[in-house]
Amino acid sequence: MFFYYLRLARISIVKHWGLSLLMIVAIGLGIGASMTTVTVNYLMSANPIPHKSSQLYNVQLDSWDINEPYNDDGTPPEQLTYRDGTNLLNANKAFRHSLQAQANGVIEPEGKDSLPFMVSARANTADFFTMFDLPFIYGGGWDSAADLNKQQVVVINSETNQRVFGGENSVGRDLKINGNYFKVVGVIDYWDPKPRFYDISTGAFNDAEEIFVPFAMIAEEKIGRSGNTNCWKTPEGEGFEGFLNSECVWLQFWVELPNQQDKEDYLSFLNAYVEEQKAFGRFERPLNNKLLNVMQWLEQQQVVEDDAIMMMAMSLMFLIVCLLNTVGLLLAKSLGKAPEIGLRQALGASRRTLFAQYIIESACIGIAGGILGLCFAWLGLQGIGALYGDMLKGLTSLDTNMVASAIALAIVSSILAGLYPTWRACNVQPSQQLKSQ
Amino acid sequence: MLTMKNVSKVFKTDNIQTHALRDFSLTVNEGDFVSVTGPSGSGKTTFLNIAGLLETFSSGDFLLDDISIQQLNDRQRSKIRNEKIGFIFQSFNLIPDLNLFDNVDVPLRYRGFNAKERKQRIEHNLDMVGLASRMKHLPSQLSGGQQQRVAIARALATDPRFLLADEPTGNLDTQMAQSVMSLLEDINKQGTTIVMVTHDNDLANRASRKIQIKDGRVSELDVVVANSQAIA
Repeated sequence: MFFYYLRLARISIVKHWGLSLLMIVAIGLGIGASMTTVTVNYLMSANPIPHKSSQLYNVQLDSWDINEPYNDDGTPPEQLTYRDGTNLLNANKAFRHSLQAQANGVIEPEGKDSLPFMVSARANTADFFTMFDLPFIYGGGWDSAADLNKQQVVVINSETNQRVFGGENSVGRDLKINGNYFKVVGVIDYWDPKPRFYDISTGAFNDAEEIFVPFAMIAEEKIGRSGNTNCWKTPEGEGFEGFLNSECVWLQFWVELPNQQDKEDYLSFLNAYVEEQKAFGRFERPLNNKLLNVMQWLEQQQVVEDDAIMMMAMSLMFLIVCLLNTVGLLLAKSLGKAPEIGLRQALGASRRTLFAQYIIESACIGIAGGILGLCFAWLGLQGIGALYGDMLKGLTSLDTNMVASAIALAIVSSILAGLYPTWRACNVQPSQQLKSQ
Repeated sequence: MLTMKNVSKVFKTDNIQTHALRDFSLTVNEGDFVSVTGPSGSGKTTFLNIAGLLETFSSGDFLLDDISIQQLNDRQRSKIRNEKIGFIFQSFNLIPDLNLFDNVDVPLRYRGFNAKERKQRIEHNLDMVGLASRMKHLPSQLSGGQQQRVAIARALATDPRFLLADEPTGNLDTQMAQSVMSLLEDINKQGTTIVMVTHDNDLANRASRKIQIKDGRVSELDVVVANSQAIA
């Protein structure tokens, strides 16, 4: 009977093409608008490193001004001072840890015709590569000895490798950055986690960096520091050394802690560290250290902004309006079909049978609406992409999950829209339906 | 075969109760050709709808093949409609979007016959009413008489034992009406019980039994037990 119902649905949709088209467009518009915003929200709130997000923790210490909290809601600064970052690094209490900051540099390729170009860089310690699972094409990351010895090594991404070395295995070759030679130790494949959880201070949806150098290169001033810096008091010392010893926060510190016990131990260590620092006149605020895993961290930092959520809610309401419209159209259609419904009952169709027939017709309209909705959603995402440019790059594409969700949402929506009209039509006595012939 | 005893049907609106049938009692036996006449609003169609399980009744007893209808749920009523009863309506009630083949196919689908059986029955019944060559036509491409013949083919496709006809010739000219009436007589001769509501006394007199309904009651029972051929 299923294929018979499909055939009847096709005949009915074609025969009443005007009404059917209105319903398909109504569902399509609702699905298109909602899928556009749902997709952006879904990608914004996606887990960027699902297999180990529960083991990676961002470290927050409340080193801020006693008279004024860093955030009104009492959350501590999202970055650390250089002094605290290096102290935690040297304490070496975590299974893995990575101290890092955003940087930039100018690459001067060899060859007469090659022009220097600017790259985004990350200054990080050795564990960064293993903690965040960077995929290597050639070579690998550096080891902690390279950090300690302040070796001038670099890991580059495949695009930079293509641009400077023509895509060849460049491991062992020298790369001139900011006038200093760095030895290439690794080339990574495409890696661009969204959100860029490991450093959201300059935008959670920015692209990953093009090159990676040892963190020590910043203190050595071999690479330029960039990114967000927040200070609650003026650095006391002079020059860059003074900045490094200041209470300004500008570093991200991540630890990998394989289990709950490790986490509790590390939090105890952090608390003990802060208590110790209090003795030096620092950390005047009450104990407020945070150790948040990736998803908790993204939630605390409100990576999905309120207006994006509001937009999604509004688009879902628009979908409801479209569905109510569809309910009205289906009611009109079912009124027109009353004699046929009565006749089918007279010829032996039970209410259940008729219900199945008309729900399948609604589902067919839903599928058509869903496909149209996907086209609208694609257009909507292209529009958002064009409007926001690089800011939302990577968030404006439909993946298979979203395509499947759109179709499922359209089918469920259309079935929901069809429930009342179908129920109503099937619950009138057949003699009443036949009278309307 | 069909026994109604003191059946009543009351239609209720906000303030008004209308008695369509009052203590209506009738027995129809296997093989009968019963014509039902009466003035407009007398309850003829209500009786036919209740007999065809298209409408519920307010009180009384109704047995069809010794099955008490009042106790049945929607699914059981649908099954009886499909297996035992065929309907012919004044306005033909063909589905305009479906061709003749698909129109006759409708009750067979609900019966659950396989494709081969359905095709055989559709072709046989359309052939019987002389429309086998037009099975791919839409109802709108046929005359009124032809449409009623298709409706008869559809009603007979499941081999019902009981055929209910509500003014089957009401929308047809005299010649067409005679032709349809002859067809019904042939069907009755083959053993199908027929109950036909009509305004036309000449046609009513061609039935083997004639009853008259007035104010929701049987006012005259078995007025004529006729030799239909002689009357025709």
